[in-house]
Amino acid sequence: MDNQQTNRTAPAGNAIITKRGVKMDFEGKIPFKQRLIMRLTSSTFWIDRVWYLFRFILLLGISFVILNPFLEKILTSFMPLSDFSNTQVNMIPTRISFNIYVKLAQYWHYLKILRNTLVLSGLTALLQTFVTCMIGYGLAKFRFRGNKLVLVLVIVTMAIPHSTLKLSLFQHFGEFDFFAIQATNSAGLLERMFGHTLRLTNSYWPFVILSGTGLAFKNGLYIFMMRQFFHGVPDELEESAYVDGSGTFRTFFTIILPLSIPMMITIFLFAFSWQWTDSFYTNLFFSSSGSIGLMPDLIKSPPPALQINNIAVADPYYKAIKNAGGLMIILPLLGVFLFCQRYLVQGIERSGIVG
Amino acid sequence: MTTSQNVKLKLPKLGRASLAERKARKGWLFVLPFIIGFILVYLPIIIDSVCFSFMTVEIKLDQQGYSYTEVVSHGLEFYREMFGDSDFTKRLGQGIGQLLWEVPAIVIFALFVAVILNQKMLGRAVFRAIFFVPVILSTGLLESLTANSIAGEGGVDDGSGESATDGLVSAMDLQGLFGMMAIGGDLVKKIVELVNHVYDIITFSGVQMLIFLAGLQSISPAIYEAARIDGASAWETFWKITFPMISPMILVNGIYTIIDSFTRNNNTVMKFIGEVYDNESQSLATAEYWVYFMIIFAIVAAFGGIVSAYVFYQRRD
Repeated sequence: MDNQQTNRTAPAGNAIITKRGVKMDFEGKIPFKQRLIMRLTSSTFWIDRVWYLFRFILLLGISFVILNPFLEKILTSFMPLSDFSNTQVNMIPTRISFNIYVKLAQYWHYLKILRNTLVLSGLTALLQTFVTCMIGYGLAKFRFRGNKLVLVLVIVTMAIPHSTLKLSLFQHFGEFDFFAIQATNSAGLLERMFGHTLRLTNSYWPFVILSGTGLAFKNGLYIFMMRQFFHGVPDELEESAYVDGSGTFRTFFTIILPLSIPMMITIFLFAFSWQWTDSFYTNLFFSSSGSIGLMPDLIKSPPPALQINNIAVADPYYKAIKNAGGLMIILPLLGVFLFCQRYLVQGIERSGIVG
Repeated sequence: MTTSQNVKLKLPKLGRASLAERKARKGWLFVLPFIIGFILVYLPIIIDSVCFSFMTVEIKLDQQGYSYTEVVSHGLEFYREMFGDSDFTKRLGQGIGQLLWEVPAIVIFALFVAVILNQKMLGRAVFRAIFFVPVILSTGLLESLTANSIAGEGGVDDGSGESATDGLVSAMDLQGLFGMMAIGGDLVKKIVELVNHVYDIITFSGVQMLIFLAGLQSISPAIYEAARIDGASAWETFWKITFPMISPMILVNGIYTIIDSFTRNNNTVMKFIGEVYDNESQSLATAEYWVYFMIIFAIVAAFGGIVSAYVFYQRRD
């Protein structure tokens, strides 16, 4: 009955079921030429085209502004050494030379530092994503006493630049203890209980502790982001889960976390790329050794194989080496981003509730 | 059968209030990691840092190679010195003045770009990747890459502070462009400044853009569909659906932008304090950091208080 009715009201055509849905095929009914004219004379068609063009040009322009500083750096990093002393060479290398890249990769053991950085960044980013997600959920959905105070503290951690705490951070992880105030020489819990503090510098522990408690670099932002996001999620979702007998944590893992995948991907990307390029914390916590080998090593002073005696050329050449190192740091990150951004797409029904 | 009846009998005893209380208490479990970390690790670090602004500390090594500290108290000396320094207060004023136009500009631009990059188009992944580059560089840890080019001329610098004017366009180029017209030099300077700030805004809005992009994903497509069926235009859809639904993220981005532009490494005040830290006295620098932080926090609190009154949350309160 229903089918017949819809067939009568809608223009007649054959329904074709495709992957994306049902398409109506009107081929047989309206001639192609007529369809084309109808399309070209409709105003929305032209407004759309103009918008597409405008959008494309705008994005292209902004992309140019972002990439412009890199253009020269990419080009010079491919220059052979002779080009630097050649005054006629400007930007375009006479021949493509991979010398700088090869030597840098050999000296710093690129694959090793890639693996090291991948492990460190991946672990801290995953930990931070999960922990901040949890804290944000707790702040958004539960009205416990002190909720507002905790939110204020989160924003405080966000607003205090860690460079302010440089000295204290170094000292506290050098002689790690719980609640030890060194300025007044008051001992912490560990020293009172076991008589000594822990030396956590030159290990991954500072990263794990900071990430696991939502105190690492810009984690306040992530917590606040998640809080705002969860605050907008309708309560009905969880209530229906509770009614069905699901506990708080099960609801969080099975209902809430899947909802927040785009948010979590974004946080993961932030945490990952900032840990990837970080030299502040690694220099601070691995101060006495460069032993582990991480990505930012690439932009340290040039390796001996690339050292030159010609003072006139040395400055631009060393800068080119540094730029090449920087590009070697950024490229893997762009790969990670391209992989992750596929999940940042609209069109998936996530909330389950409308209005 | 019997068990379910038992449960039904027990339910009224709990009452609505106690159920809500029990639920609220579970919230503590979620924020527990933060509370523990804040009290046991972060708070001592902060207290120490504040204490250091009242005293000088020297790190020395004993025989075993462990560091120990020697403390000399100075009282309020550094704070007095700081406010006596007119350079510091002047830079502070400049920084706040810059904020007034920078924050709205960055947030609006980021939202605009995020809305565009959320649409389906050719090469979207590539564009998104390009817009991700400023996020990577935003920490300033790879400064060498955005710093000036090998020849020391041309190229865009990162738009930081004073060197901004020899950035994207030079005043000379624009002078040539406007030379034919009867435009005063001041106006040309203004335009150069504006264009260079466009570069600033683009590179400083990477993080905000991604946050907005993530926020846009969480808007249910069904709402858009309903609006379209009701005949809403794209313009109306943006203001009536996208804007309210993204407003929680506008609050996040506003606060983040304020904090970010204040604490960025190339911020004039941060640079100034950094120089003091390296060259003069670490304690004086720490004192300046804390006063600076108090000001940032006051501004953030004022902004948050005003904006959060207008934020829309898709839940009943």
